[in-house]
Amino acid sequence: MKIATCCERIAAQTLYKQLLIGWLLMAVAVYASASAPTINLFPTTVLEEIKHTGSVAAEMETGLQAVISQLDEQQKLYLESKCEGNEGDPGCERIARQLGKSYLEMLNVMADRLPEMETAVNATSSSLEKRIRSELGQKKTSWTLQELLMGEGSGNPASTSQPSLRGRSGMRLSDRFSQYYKLVARSGGNANSSLAVIASDIYLDMQETSSLIARTREEISRATLMEQLNQSFGTITPEMQEVVAGVKAILFGEEMNVIPMAVPPAGPSDNDYESALQL
Amino acid sequence: MKPSNKIRVCSIVTVVAIATSLAACGSNPAQKTSCSLPEGPDLDRAISAARFDLETGCEHEFDAYFQRLLVIAEGDPKKENKASFSDFLIWANDAGLLSKVQARETYNRYFGVKYVSLISDYSVCSQTCPQQSDVMRNMNRELADKEQGLLKISADRINYTRASNLFQETELVLEATCEACGPIE
Repeated sequence: MKIATCCERIAAQTLYKQLLIGWLLMAVAVYASASAPTINLFPTTVLEEIKHTGSVAAEMETGLQAVISQLDEQQKLYLESKCEGNEGDPGCERIARQLGKSYLEMLNVMADRLPEMETAVNATSSSLEKRIRSELGQKKTSWTLQELLMGEGSGNPASTSQPSLRGRSGMRLSDRFSQYYKLVARSGGNANSSLAVIASDIYLDMQETSSLIARTREEISRATLMEQLNQSFGTITPEMQEVVAGVKAILFGEEMNVIPMAVPPAGPSDNDYESALQL
Repeated sequence: MKPSNKIRVCSIVTVVAIATSLAACGSNPAQKTSCSLPEGPDLDRAISAARFDLETGCEHEFDAYFQRLLVIAEGDPKKENKASFSDFLIWANDAGLLSKVQARETYNRYFGVKYVSLISDYSVCSQTCPQQSDVMRNMNRELADKEQGLLKISADRINYTRASNLFQETELVLEATCEACGPIE
């Protein structure tokens, strides 16, 4: 009987301790969420969409890599053989036809892959648009948005929460998405100020990519028809070179202007003067 | 001379004396403030002179005096200048020349990192986006004032860099947010 009472007491004490710890943890969690309101710009669905867009871009790049390298080689050969202005030469005509074939192949790969890419980009863009509209556009005033960017309330000085990637970067599309994913995942939902900047950056990038894809798709059918006609004459048009250069710029980030990264703002120094008028 | 005449003469003399002394007072006017903006490189002295003038009839020239003080302070950039301007603006509020809000906004416009151009009561979508370009233009002007206050007057490069970065981030985030808010109705 005595043993039973003792055991019951120990069990009760253990339960009480667990309850106390649980209650304390809950209180801490409630306090943390109350003291640092987080903005929910990247729910799991958006993160997954970014990841998916990255893998679609990677597939497209893989599909185009070989044909673009082939095009580069053929173009090099065409130039080295001094075929420019010498179109009547049978050898040059052959190279030009091969070039045209590769070009058509590239257009076909793009025509196949672009719809999926467009869907993925648009889905990410649309989800982000909703989040930005609700979290930044409707829940914030321009003053509280500024405070968010300054890093107030997050408990982290702005200097440590700045993203390491800013602006449109001259890199592969898939790498760009991979970078975005890592940035968002690394922030872990704590650095609201960085997340607002990252979300804005990705969203504007998506908008730009989306309109580029739409324009490219419109052009592809026309370019395919033109090239089929050109095949009969075996010429390289400046338009061909331009389209290839454009595709390389979109997918592989070549020849794009690299915007310099912003220097993370340093935190205030210890002996900084603070006026009674300071906002 | 009769005593009554004596009294009359005395009264006349007294009246004339009083009138003369009053006229003399009128011809010697009280020192009038000329509202001339302070000169010289010494900010503290310039602030004292400005305070005297602003208290004695030149309050309508407050902006011109403040601008002159800023220019004088540019001649000797140091962190302590922030405190001098803060004290001056607090004094201006106490003296009734500026409201508390005006004093706070003026100080922060020049010496704060945050942008008073972004002060608003309503959501970004409803208030800021419809006038996005005006907001950015005002912020740009404020950045120039912060350059004067933080960099040229207070030699505070760190906070000026923060203000400059905040401008760029706000521009990017506002662009995305206003795009997401949709067209203005």
